[in-house]
Amino acid sequence: MSVNTNSLQLSDYLEKLPGTTFKRLYQQPSTAFAIFRRMLPHLAKTFVMAMLYMPTPFLISDLEIWVKPTSKRQKDQALATLRSLHIIQSAGPQSMTLTTNFRNSLRLALEGGGDHHSFGVPSTLPVPSDVDLAFLDRYARKKWDDILHYVVNSVEYSDMRDKDTSGGGPKASVKELLIAGRLVEKRSVATISITQAGFTFLLQEANSQVWTLLLLWLEAADAAGERAGMDSVDMLSFLFLLASLELGRGYSTNALTERRRNMLPYLVDFGLIYIPPHDHQQYFPTRLATTLTSSESSLRSVSAGFLAASEGGISDAGDKNAIILETNFRVYAYTSSPLQIAVLALFCELKMRFRELVSGKLSRQSIRKAVDMGITSDQIISYLATHAHEQMHRLAAAQKKPLLPPVIVDQIRLWQLDTERMSVCPGFLFKDFESVREYEDMANFAGEIGVLKWRNDRKGMFFASKVEQIKDFMKNRRKAEQ
Amino acid sequence: MNRIDASDHYEVTATGQTPSLLTIILDTNPRAWQALGPTLSISAALANILVFVNAHLAFGNDNQVAILAAHSHRAVWLYPKPPSSDSNNSSKNAVSSFKKKAGLGGDGDVEITPQFAAIESSILSSLQSLIAETDAADIPYTTLVAGALTTALSYINKTALSFAPAKPSSTDPNANTTGNNNNGSGGAAAAAVAGAQQAPTLHARILVLSVSDSEPAQYIATMNAVFAASHARIPIDTLSLSPHASPTFLQQAAFITGGSYVSASLNPRGLLTYLMLGFLPDAEARAHLLQATQDRVDFRAACFCHRDVVDTGFVCSVCLSIFCEVPPGDAGCLTCGTKLALGNYGNKPAVVPRKKKKKKRVNGVSGREETGSATGTPVP
Repeated sequence: MSVNTNSLQLSDYLEKLPGTTFKRLYQQPSTAFAIFRRMLPHLAKTFVMAMLYMPTPFLISDLEIWVKPTSKRQKDQALATLRSLHIIQSAGPQSMTLTTNFRNSLRLALEGGGDHHSFGVPSTLPVPSDVDLAFLDRYARKKWDDILHYVVNSVEYSDMRDKDTSGGGPKASVKELLIAGRLVEKRSVATISITQAGFTFLLQEANSQVWTLLLLWLEAADAAGERAGMDSVDMLSFLFLLASLELGRGYSTNALTERRRNMLPYLVDFGLIYIPPHDHQQYFPTRLATTLTSSESSLRSVSAGFLAASEGGISDAGDKNAIILETNFRVYAYTSSPLQIAVLALFCELKMRFRELVSGKLSRQSIRKAVDMGITSDQIISYLATHAHEQMHRLAAAQKKPLLPPVIVDQIRLWQLDTERMSVCPGFLFKDFESVREYEDMANFAGEIGVLKWRNDRKGMFFASKVEQIKDFMKNRRKAEQ
Repeated sequence: MNRIDASDHYEVTATGQTPSLLTIILDTNPRAWQALGPTLSISAALANILVFVNAHLAFGNDNQVAILAAHSHRAVWLYPKPPSSDSNNSSKNAVSSFKKKAGLGGDGDVEITPQFAAIESSILSSLQSLIAETDAADIPYTTLVAGALTTALSYINKTALSFAPAKPSSTDPNANTTGNNNNGSGGAAAAAVAGAQQAPTLHARILVLSVSDSEPAQYIATMNAVFAASHARIPIDTLSLSPHASPTFLQQAAFITGGSYVSASLNPRGLLTYLMLGFLPDAEARAHLLQATQDRVDFRAACFCHRDVVDTGFVCSVCLSIFCEVPPGDAGCLTCGTKLALGNYGNKPAVVPRKKKKKKRVNGVSGREETGSATGTPVP
């Protein structure tokens, strides 16, 4: 039940990469730093920091003393994540260390020094007078909304068909990417229609949307191979670099490698950076880029920043976190962006609209309608959760209650279950164990590292979503038995 | 499979981590650092602390840090700077010259994230101006820790308020007024106490890097701050660096607030490792980790009359003030003025032998009783 669907996607992408790729990625301090900050659970970060300046390998027995016995499960999950991201390696039978590249890079990131240029080279040229924070925010917002509008407008929904797409939508390259990623489908020459993946994309928070699109781009570059002069590893580490830059500061394009300079036009199309039209010597990262590796709660404040930036008369304060969901199925959204209203209208009966506020109601019909269009209840719930108003977050944190009222969440699911009764999860089935003991060991281990999806003790079968670590465990177990 | 299982419940909780505010109080007593000089210079210690601060900030973008210097006469903000100060001109020079001294690579302020660079320059420039202002003539041997603690507490309170959830409109107004009436020295944390009923939306903690002794004159002020922190559930951690000093009150502070007290006096050069292993985990990680505990805590208090640390003293039965000697003449309690009789102090207690009961001894049960003195203040 994770709301944070995007970092799952990013982690899925990262987990597919081979170990040598990680070695290259971790040569850049900014990459090591970003992965540390974004991808690791809290306990894993603590372990990494403890090992960072440790001269000798960390004994596993010491770690077991340090962690409370009741938290064994969290410890195992943290270690599993660290292993899968190639951050730790075994240094002997009962000890472990950080991998060399990661350790050196993270140390450099914390201490400063070196000449890796991994946190960008600021441009010495004067900043054009019209480029300020508000301008960059407006620019990024406009570019991104163009892309979203392109996706949304493919839905057959009457209210949102405002033909006022000033600016003509995103560039052709972006459109191709959206089609290649199957976010939208081409039905005929003129019309396109949204797919289920497109709904997932649409219902995510902005940051996840950016990552989704960027990962599509990386995969496309992978497919194109060397022929296109793109290298997905270098691209990924450049993205992490962008995330560590400072908003509102100009950076020199001359310090970039040829390959990275070739990436810039694409990033301009996505709205991640801004290059002044008359001056190609410097580029400015926008808020979309600098928050790529931010954590969730700071993203909320970022969208508040977006809001503040666009307050100057422009009512297009788009995708901000402004939804309040009450236990009586009423939904209030403090927004006036046609985009967000359109998305809300997909699964919610809108009743009233005021300046800066729309209110509506979730009902059986509205959810059924959304499900019929191919939206799942998980998507609706995660949309409501990621766009929940700051006050809902604070109240939930203070009262230790779930973010969304459980009664609503259950009901949305039940309404969907009326029509759908199956959920699909790719993975591996384990059966035909030699002994009950073996089955229990394996199933418990899978449960501990958090990949167990289903088990049936009577039949002696279980189903897990990932297989690598279970394989290792099986091997070690066999070895121990012999 | 056709029936809907309504017993299955799904809960959507926010997954983001709670922001954490680390307040570091750095003891900058010049005499104490001079004494430490051969093993650990202040610039080397500062380089370590900066790495530690960066490591804390690296945990998440919304982690915050505040650094105070507890000097011999006053407490000074190192970061964030108070808004009134305008001494920002020499910061760039300070950083590069410091880096050369500490051997931290060239003046590569490019090779570091902007936030880190801002903190670094702020700390170094404030510290330099602090040292420049210090008059070499009169430097006491001790440090104003109490002042720094209360400043830190009020800063934490202010920050916590900005993260707190909005009050529902139906709250009774009395709840707010009680906080305002409390103008005592613990008043800084009064509002935080009121909020402590709920789960915190900000994990705050205080880390004191101590190099000098506790000043008995500050006993009352320090303890007031400690109890305020305990009520607001802010742990006070202490890392003691000097082999010559034992910060008694800070040991008690760590014990009362549930922080950890570690003495690095055997090997102060390993400062960074101490910091990274023992003091980096915040409240979220501490739920899963075992903390360093003290084998013995110095619980001695300071008397109210001469500010001496006493082993045995006299306690006023009305206001619980502690005195090292009976107030002279017929003065009564110096704090509340109550006339007190001493009873028959100094007499040998009459010992009435108890009747011996025949009782079987159970093996392994020690005859000692729990004194119950080692109980902390109850947390609301």
